[in-house]
Amino acid sequence: MSEMQMALTNTAGITSVMSFWVFAASNGFKQRKDLMVKIGSGAMVLAFVSLTAAIIIRGIDAQRFPLANLYESLLWFAWATMGSYLVLAKAYGVRQLGWLASLTALLMFLYGSWLPQSQHDIQPLVPALVSYWRWIHVPPLIVSYALFFLGGLAGFIQLYMAGRIQSLITAIVTVCLALLAVVLGTFTTVDTAWLQILFAGASLVGSVISFKLLQRVDKKIGDAKLAEIYDDVSYRCIAIGMPALTFGIITGGLWANHAWGTYWSWDPKESMALVTWLSYAAYIHLRVHRECSAERLALVSIVGLLLTLMTYLGFNSLGLGGLHSYGKFK
Amino acid sequence: MRRPTKQNTRQETRTHVNTESEKTDLKPQTSVKNVLASVKLTIFLMSLTALTVLIGAWCPQESANGKEKVVEQFGAETAKLLTQFGITDIYHSPWFLSLIAMLTVNMIACSFMRVFPRVKLLNKPLPFIGGREIGKLPVNTSVNITKGEKSAFTAIALKLASKGFKVSTNEERLLAEYGKYGRLAATVTHIGLLTLLVGVTITSWTGFSGFQPVLLNSHLDFHESEHSKLWIGKLPDWTVRVDETRREDHPTGEAKQWFSKLTVIDKNGKEVKTQEISVNNPLSYDGVDIYQSSWGLDHLILNFNGNERRLDLRPMGKLYAAFLPLDQDTMMLFSVRADGKPIKVFAKRPDWEGPRMLTELSKDKPAKLGPVTISLIKTMPVTGLQYKCDPGLPITYIAFGFIIVGVLMAAIPHRHVWVSFENNVLYFGGRSVKDKVGFERLLKAMETQIIRDFGEPKAEDVVETPSGAEAQMPLKSGSPASNSQAGDAKTQTNAEADAQKTSSSTKQNKKELAASATGSGNTENAQGDS
Ligand code: HEM
Repeated sequence: MSEMQMALTNTAGITSVMSFWVFAASNGFKQRKDLMVKIGSGAMVLAFVSLTAAIIIRGIDAQRFPLANLYESLLWFAWATMGSYLVLAKAYGVRQLGWLASLTALLMFLYGSWLPQSQHDIQPLVPALVSYWRWIHVPPLIVSYALFFLGGLAGFIQLYMAGRIQSLITAIVTVCLALLAVVLGTFTTVDTAWLQILFAGASLVGSVISFKLLQRVDKKIGDAKLAEIYDDVSYRCIAIGMPALTFGIITGGLWANHAWGTYWSWDPKESMALVTWLSYAAYIHLRVHRECSAERLALVSIVGLLLTLMTYLGFNSLGLGGLHSYGKFK
Repeated sequence: MRRPTKQNTRQETRTHVNTESEKTDLKPQTSVKNVLASVKLTIFLMSLTALTVLIGAWCPQESANGKEKVVEQFGAETAKLLTQFGITDIYHSPWFLSLIAMLTVNMIACSFMRVFPRVKLLNKPLPFIGGREIGKLPVNTSVNITKGEKSAFTAIALKLASKGFKVSTNEERLLAEYGKYGRLAATVTHIGLLTLLVGVTITSWTGFSGFQPVLLNSHLDFHESEHSKLWIGKLPDWTVRVDETRREDHPTGEAKQWFSKLTVIDKNGKEVKTQEISVNNPLSYDGVDIYQSSWGLDHLILNFNGNERRLDLRPMGKLYAAFLPLDQDTMMLFSVRADGKPIKVFAKRPDWEGPRMLTELSKDKPAKLGPVTISLIKTMPVTGLQYKCDPGLPITYIAFGFIIVGVLMAAIPHRHVWVSFENNVLYFGGRSVKDKVGFERLLKAMETQIIRDFGEPKAEDVVETPSGAEAQMPLKSGSPASNSQAGDAKTQTNAEADAQKTSSSTKQNKKELAASATGSGNTENAQGDS
């Protein structure tokens, strides 16, 4: 890794930490709130710009499109999360999403920096990845994952604004347990079978409980108007994430057909992407159907976030590799 | 100035209801039919399918990994259980296939009963509606126009047009639509999905595929192809000869690319086509594609004091190795990194700590080990060729195109705006199903602008109202901006708003209207905008 690239990546990491704290702290101040939100956004813009530069320089250093292993894809994920947030903030003026977006980017940076050195180094590509299809197929997928994450995060805020506190807490615990499983699976030697059970069990039980708890409303908390806005933001994220995911899956099929002669081979990761796709298709139809309450839809978007996490990081870290094990390094 | 008559209003209300929920148009058709065409069923089936695929992603599939993998991962007992429930081959299980079948039926029913008929509605003109109906729209507001009159109407039309709306006007009413083609999303996507099913079905009934490791100078034929049970296709009678095959390395020794030079030989033995293939670069002939999918060294041929001997190679990390037991304890080991590279010769005995290297040999450099002269005749490469014939592919690709375009269209928000200018009040409102907030912001911005530019009377405005836009209209009797009338209109608006209590922006509007009565207008701006 060149020094320039290192410096830029670190700048992006540090500014996203700053952005997170300033955004989060802004809620504690009444008068300076606007100013702090501005500073937080500014830090995010800085993080976004330096990360963009870092990725470009990595590409130049490597003399290839810089999206070939887990570390690089994490950089892209953080990039897409911040970029999408900045666009959303401009279009909707949503602020609370800011600290969640920088937190997500931050976690991705941390996760990336804990990866072994071999991931940070620029390494030659295996024959299967030498193709222009790589940069057609992968970026839309990463972008769709980032948008689905933001959609789920907007769902969290929506639950808060709708006063569904108990349901919200359950959902947060669920996502944290799932993240824990992914982190343990990546960095420790805990038996992956247990981690699979942790991930799946937490997701299943947590989602069911959250759905049940939706009936408990704390009327003192929240803001119906903001809840509606976050509902809309969540839907926008998913409505745009969906074509990106579709495009990614289909171009993956075209690539596979080009390289191996079959566009679909029920490879685990492929299948998992299909699961995610079907779930968001179900979400879209739930919207069209118009019989599902906004809070339920928020929870569906959070379940979607869990599935996205599973597709993106879960499959490799929980020992369910398959063809797409470029993310594997143990 | 014409006011909507009572009768007129009633009629508008009816048409309005029709447009408001297009569902009602189709209700009679759908309610008669059964659950097959219900979206509830769709969601239920999709969730079940997702769950099934999830299980399939988690459990290694026999078709891809073989039975051993399942046993290795779960142990014999559990593996047996999983197999019994069809989980180890879930994508061919009756459960999965019937899910797909039900989804298909559901989709066909839905598509033909609900989705496709919508296309006809697309060009059905929507009515222009008056202030009262506009007040019932999900987002609506009204502004007291105190100056500029008709140019306020023109300004809003221009503003909408500049935001990408398609605007049509009818005297003092306006209807604007944005993202009309977004409404075709469902149709396009579903046509794509149905087409995909057709393509996949054609392939599974007439196509075939397979994999065959082929040694250098040997032939690939298609007799061991895989195809579905319902197959009605025919296998080719031509074969493919491997003329050359090699591996190219990165400087670090990892494989960079594999190449094979192939020649197609027809049934009469005639050579008809020669091409070098590599990963991502297949050969196509007669509807069959042949892909480079793996590569290896298969065996060595060595000469021991004049006797040729073939030794099978096994991949060991980056190397390939062959073993030759000499006696009970001693083992000879030959390792080679790549075709054409020298071969290292080792010996191994149990009482030695590791194998000892004895010598190296290559094609033109035989080695002498005691009384034995070993020379290398050749290393035999093997190329893994994947082939497939997929007649449904063009249709599948067309389907992919439709699906991508369809889901992209679904992201386009569809918006409608109605405007009516009555009694010096500009009513406007609309709806957007997919992008409520953005739409509200847009209307809010327009409201602010209209209030700023047209909401405040200025002495000279009252006197010389005519502007470019208004010249077309005969001047109305009684200056619209006379104070008493404006006041009337305002009370009327507020009364309506109170009665309807439809949206928060209406309430805010009241405040802003009141505020603007004391604020200042900007004539220059108003003219600039209109
Ligand atoms: C398999 C059975 C399916 C059925 C019965 C079904 C049914 C429907 C129905 C009734 C609508 C509403 C149409 C309208 O209100 O205009 C719809 C919309 C839609 N469907 Fe499906 N659908 C199915 C599968 C899928 C799948 C797998 C996708 C893939 C993403 C999909 C994508 C869409 C899209 C994009 C829309 C438009 C949504 C919008 O306008 O926001 N459908 N579907």
